Amino acid sequence: MQLRAAPPLLVLLPALVLLPLALLLPGLSHGGGWELIGQFASAAFTPSLEPVVLRSVAAGLLVTVAMALLGWAVSLVLGLLLGVASSRTVWASLTGSTVPATCIRRLLAIPRSIHELIWGLLLLQLMGLQPAVAVLAIVIPYAALVARVISDLLDALPTTNVEALRAGGAPAPAALLTALGPALLPGVLSYGGYRLECALRSATLLGVFGLGGLGTELKLTMQSLAFHELWTGLWLLLAVMLSLEAGLGGLRRRWLMPVRFGLQQPSVGLRAREMLLVLLALLPLSLLLGHALGVQPQALLTWQPLPPLQNDWPSVLALPWPALVGGTLALTLLAACLAVGLAPLLLLLAAPSRWLRAPLRLVWALGRLWPPPLTALLLLLVLQPGVVTGALALGFHNLGVLGRLLLESAADASPATEQALACAGSGPRLALLYGRLSVVARPYLAYAAYRSDVMLRESVVVSLVGATGLGSQLLESLSAFAWDQLLALVLVYALLTLLGEDLSDRWRARLLASG
Amino acid sequence: MNPVLELRGITVPAQPRPRLEGIDLTIRQGERVALLGASGAGKSTLLAVANGLLPPQQGEVLWEGRSPARSRRGRRLQQARIGTLWQDLRLVEELSVQQNLNAARLAVWGWPKALLNLLLPLETDACRQAMATMDLEPHLLERPVSALSGGQRQRVAMARLLRQDPVLLLADEPLASLDPRLAAELLALLLRQALPPRALLLSLHRPDLLEGFDRAIGLRQGRLVFDGPIAGVHRALLHDLYEGTLPCS
Repeated sequence: MQLRAAPPLLVLLPALVLLPLALLLPGLSHGGGWELIGQFASAAFTPSLEPVVLRSVAAGLLVTVAMALLGWAVSLVLGLLLGVASSRTVWASLTGSTVPATCIRRLLAIPRSIHELIWGLLLLQLMGLQPAVAVLAIVIPYAALVARVISDLLDALPTTNVEALRAGGAPAPAALLTALGPALLPGVLSYGGYRLECALRSATLLGVFGLGGLGTELKLTMQSLAFHELWTGLWLLLAVMLSLEAGLGGLRRRWLMPVRFGLQQPSVGLRAREMLLVLLALLPLSLLLGHALGVQPQALLTWQPLPPLQNDWPSVLALPWPALVGGTLALTLLAACLAVGLAPLLLLLAAPSRWLRAPLRLVWALGRLWPPPLTALLLLLVLQPGVVTGALALGFHNLGVLGRLLLESAADASPATEQALACAGSGPRLALLYGRLSVVARPYLAYAAYRSDVMLRESVVVSLVGATGLGSQLLESLSAFAWDQLLALVLVYALLTLLGEDLSDRWRARLLASG
Repeated sequence: MNPVLELRGITVPAQPRPRLEGIDLTIRQGERVALLGASGAGKSTLLAVANGLLPPQQGEVLWEGRSPARSRRGRRLQQARIGTLWQDLRLVEELSVQQNLNAARLAVWGWPKALLNLLLPLETDACRQAMATMDLEPHLLERPVSALSGGQRQRVAMARLLRQDPVLLLADEPLASLDPRLAAELLALLLRQALPPRALLLSLHRPDLLEGFDRAIGLRQGRLVFDGPIAGVHRALLHDLYEGTLPCS
């Protein structure tokens, strides 16, 4: 008999990881701390409304939002330029050769594969604490990520229009702009909007590691167990994030932009003039924000001298590499299974009741905005440090991201089949599983493949809890100023991320092709 | 014969006029009933009330002499006795034919079996039998529905109905988008399945296909204007029902 899991079952299988986890968790608990968790949870209903607290939270939030906006705007413009520069179509039209495009693409893989947190910590050492550090930490990897998406979008567009214009005597740059520009715009803006959401999360996260803004406030209140003040910040951040998501969602609908993991065919956007105006507004916006944040261009050029490389390669080799890489991979796998499998499982559990869906949405929203290192710190109150604790924190964050997408795409899918099954007497959960989850399963898994690759890159952010593989070692080497170790660790991390990216790309292509 | 479906004083309000108004109707075991009427006359609404999709705001629906069960499980088992052939078929494209046929058993299966059905082929004999009744090759069971032809899909949807084994078969214009030969074949299959204790209620926009039915019901602007043996369906009545827009006759 042949065993073959059908798509709706495939999305649930990763949730099986809950079984070993349920066995492991009691052993990891160190007994105390539940009282504190209770205080933390109950403080959610009574955030501090003291004027002093509100003022400091609002000030922190403004800095975070400004860092996010500035980092995002610069990375979008830079990414657009780099994306065009690494497009095969563009180089082929201009010079007839695609070799330069391939070279630039390969070069951009390096900034892309290193997480903004690592960039932030490295730049902090190089440039000292200044507002531009967080902005640059966002700009470097984001620009490279945007460039990759732009060049992929560009190269996927049919080139017949360009050729037709060229045949009519138009110069190459004009032909490219006319033929590809309008088709590219909706994709750029849709992805750009998504990057803005990411930038807000990144800016908060960088704050947790001391780069300023609300994140720093959150971490300080967390560490001093001032839970009421902590919740003031969290609720405000939630309000900002949800309105940002709602606003961007509204723009997506208004401009008929492709949804992120498309069940619908991407459509050509309307209202091109509005879109262009928004893009053009980015430049003055960046200047304004830079000024408001107190970014000093000249300070960017003064670098602190680094301590010399010790060239202590034997000690680099002596690092427990298999354990470090293994820990990182185990953490990523565990977090990915938790996030990917739990989202559909929770959706199924909440399905029959409208009342359950609203709290589910809220928990997912909290998961998205909540910096994973803070969850990790919270978990440390009851659990021992290690891979599992880190994975829980990372998994919760990504559950929020995946859950929202799953809910959105399930809402977009036609209810007809589910209705037919319910009419034939199946319960609401089974009707949802068979009728709707089977439709969204393939695109969901394809997105999950991409997300797992993001989680691998991101696993460094929960390294605060210790013993989580490369990330924890990286923080240790950083605080010991062991530059040779640091260099080796970053390189290995980047290599691992690139391998993961390649693997997830292949898996995604296979999933979507078999659909 | 016992009644399978009873509608009593069903009204579905809407603007500018009710979609259904004061419908009284009883369908008994073994009856094969054709539902006639122009577009917008309320045929689909009546079928939606009959299969429980649309709870009526006024009036009462009885299935096999009982009103809708209060308990969830009771209601599910009641729904399982009503089979609907949808015009757009509503098969799960991503699943295999066998998984689709078995989806008709979800009302009586528990979770373990429903999950197992997504992992390995279950109740193959019963599925083969349903396929054979619909003149479908058994090897198609393993195919995903998305790989089937239009005619095959139509038959798989029928086979799924047989797997459900309902006492009341409802069909909303199942022949509308089919070529004449396929339409005649499908209709013959449907009529053959409607033997006691089963009953069939099928909405039809082609009065030329009435042969084989026992009884016809005519709807006009949400009201029941005719209910009798098909021998009583004459040209003047059809003209009245379709208000001069009679299709081929």
